[in-house]
Amino acid sequence: MSSQVRKVLSLILLERFGMVVEKVATHLFQYGSSPLLHIRKYTELPLSKVKESLAILIKYNLVSFKPNRNENIANYTFKPENVLLMLRYPKYMNLIKKKFGDECEMIIEEILQRGYWTASEVILKVQERISKSNNISLVQVRDQFVSLVNSKYLVRLPFSQSEDKPVPELGIDGKELHSVPTIDMAALKRAKSAEHSEFADKNIYWTVNFNRFHQDMRDKIIVTAFTKKFDDNVGELVNFLLNQMYIRTEPWADVSNPIPILEIKELAKKQKNLSQLNAFFDQYVTLIEEDHSNLIRKSGEASGGSFQIFLRQAFTQFAWELVEQCVFEKFDTKAARIFRLVKLKEYIEPDHIQQQAMIPAKEAKRLTYQLLEENYLEIQELRKAATGGGPTKSFMLFHIKLDQVVRMTLELCYKTLFNTMTRRNHEKDINKRIIDKKQRVDTIAMGMRVQGASEEQLSDIEDMITPPEREILEKIEKTMKKFNAAELEIDDTIFLLQMYLNYH
Amino acid sequence: METEPSQNDVETRLLDLAKSQPNGVSNDDVKAHLSDVPLPELTAIINKCLKNGLFDLFKLKNTLFYKYKDPSKKTTTKGADTEERVVYKIIEEAGNKGIWIRDIRFASNLNMTQLNKVLKSLETKKIIKAVKSVSASKKKVYMLFDLEPDSTVTGGAWYQDQDFESEFVDVLSQQCHRFLVEKWEEANQKSGGPLAVRNRSYATASDVHKFISELGISKVALTIKDIESILFTVVLDNNAERIVKTDGSYLYKAVKGFLPAPGLVKTTCGICPVVNRCADTGHINPKDCSYFAEWLNQ
Ligand code: SF4
Repeated sequence: MSSQVRKVLSLILLERFGMVVEKVATHLFQYGSSPLLHIRKYTELPLSKVKESLAILIKYNLVSFKPNRNENIANYTFKPENVLLMLRYPKYMNLIKKKFGDECEMIIEEILQRGYWTASEVILKVQERISKSNNISLVQVRDQFVSLVNSKYLVRLPFSQSEDKPVPELGIDGKELHSVPTIDMAALKRAKSAEHSEFADKNIYWTVNFNRFHQDMRDKIIVTAFTKKFDDNVGELVNFLLNQMYIRTEPWADVSNPIPILEIKELAKKQKNLSQLNAFFDQYVTLIEEDHSNLIRKSGEASGGSFQIFLRQAFTQFAWELVEQCVFEKFDTKAARIFRLVKLKEYIEPDHIQQQAMIPAKEAKRLTYQLLEENYLEIQELRKAATGGGPTKSFMLFHIKLDQVVRMTLELCYKTLFNTMTRRNHEKDINKRIIDKKQRVDTIAMGMRVQGASEEQLSDIEDMITPPEREILEKIEKTMKKFNAAELEIDDTIFLLQMYLNYH
Repeated sequence: METEPSQNDVETRLLDLAKSQPNGVSNDDVKAHLSDVPLPELTAIINKCLKNGLFDLFKLKNTLFYKYKDPSKKTTTKGADTEERVVYKIIEEAGNKGIWIRDIRFASNLNMTQLNKVLKSLETKKIIKAVKSVSASKKKVYMLFDLEPDSTVTGGAWYQDQDFESEFVDVLSQQCHRFLVEKWEEANQKSGGPLAVRNRSYATASDVHKFISELGISKVALTIKDIESILFTVVLDNNAERIVKTDGSYLYKAVKGFLPAPGLVKTTCGICPVVNRCADTGHINPKDCSYFAEWLNQ
């Protein structure tokens, strides 16, 4: 990972955990796996601080450890990818909320905040939070928890395999990962009334399975893409295909195993709001089958035909489209046209670019070289011996290496992310005085409200913020919202590009 | 049936006569062999053959002789020196795309002065000609005299005196796109299944050609091929797709892409022209960046 990534990681860690943790993590990032004393020596932090930082990083699965050659010492390894995932937390929660509702969202939220937790404690906490506004029983929350385990959004945390080793070796077997815990409901009820209670599952921790979320996010990209290119009906059809795919296919396979289309037809029939899809079901199937993109192909005629989804290829196409759009926005339509022409021809001579893209020679040349300079295109030189023993002729051919362009675009995403976060912090800094004042006023007002102050007294306090200040505060709030939205959107791009790289 | 011999007939007979006499035929021979042809007409035909380079005219002992010359192997370089023959060969190979003087020099190994002399001589003899190429303003290419330059050299309909008419092409491209979109929208409005809609959205280049001609935006007559080139730009812009029919011709249809605008390009840095020079410190940095200020005020 590049220095650009390192800078983003630093910012994220600083924001969430403070300077000390950031320093330890950055050290590990730069020097690779290191033992405790090594970290202390280079960071020049007190040992207790280093330990504390490592504990926090391990808790959130940002650092892992393994015994050194000397079995008494552990080597700590930083997991930078997981830090970047922290930006995605709001997305994970939103996804679960849409799919399973508020209770599940809260369960995920609590676990994300802590890194991991026991089932009993999460259930208690969530039930307590919800019952402030709604009636909900412990059993109901437990059922939600179990459904999250069953659908693999939650997995069990690996645990120490043997007691006697100085550096514990964590492990878990496949079955334990998803086996639903037995939760002692009686103990939970007791805990609610009494102060303290011991739970039977006190050493069984659950954590969020990001991979499972990414699978959903990937599927959503595919469905949205088909919806945009065709219409909602095609989107629905593809959604059914993806859902049925899981029955026979390992989730991250490049190509799905054949899915019988009759199965989908039956499923679609059961849905009442899909009358258009049902009326023209076979036609819609033909439509996607015959589409140029070739992402869904017929694989066999038996029992009404079965279809395969080409996931890897889908993300190749999406990545192409994404970088094409970047070229379009960064340069102009003509540049995007040239870029697509080179993509289409694979190798192309400069003269042909201008002719086929129908762009004046000078402009074509300028744009082509601009794209070359910014590494969207590259040149391959072909030498060919001229006929009759003359000097060798060399041809210049333009070419695109998608892998490289994707990596470059990903770098650009990290840089953008870093700049956006830096600017956000900067905007906060310059308005620090006023933001602090607002916070103080809010705290005082809250304290007084608790003490039962009158409306008049409260509004007096709130008036300490002058109208011009209020205006500024509103503006800051708007600005921060914009920054947050931008960060999430940049992450969308990152996700798509990472998907491409994962498949390649 | 009227037996008046047609012009072509006379010409063929005349040529046959000339071919049979490799040493040339005199005026008298011609008159004797073609006595049925009126003299003025015969003269006209002889002149035509001379002009087309089918005959060589030469004088022998005060008599004029015509000699047949095969146009297919126009080795008029007979009598010319070897250098001319070499250059001729090189230019002939280049066909109607022509060849650049520098390439002739490399291929022939002649020096510039020699080459210029040879080219000049071939040019005056009307064996070759120089044509200005559109691909580079000062570039001339040489080709055989009676070849029609390739459209890559002249640029075809899109060039006016070697200037590419960019705006004209842009307008045409937009209009072609508009036509396809309208066709697609129309298809969507009519009822029927998705396949019927799709099939109704396809247009051939001649459909588009007709539409463009009726719009009357083009001063020059465009060929179907011209329209195909324009439609290809619409395809390249990701606004249309083209499929090949079984007979090898193309069908065009408006299409949409898979993805919405990516998040990256909605930010300032994603499309920033100076991003490579932007750093934490220094003149260009995110804290003072005015693009950001603009973006925040949007
Ligand atoms: S911060 Fe400003 S100058 Fe730097 S990359 Fe972003 S937009 Fe460009």
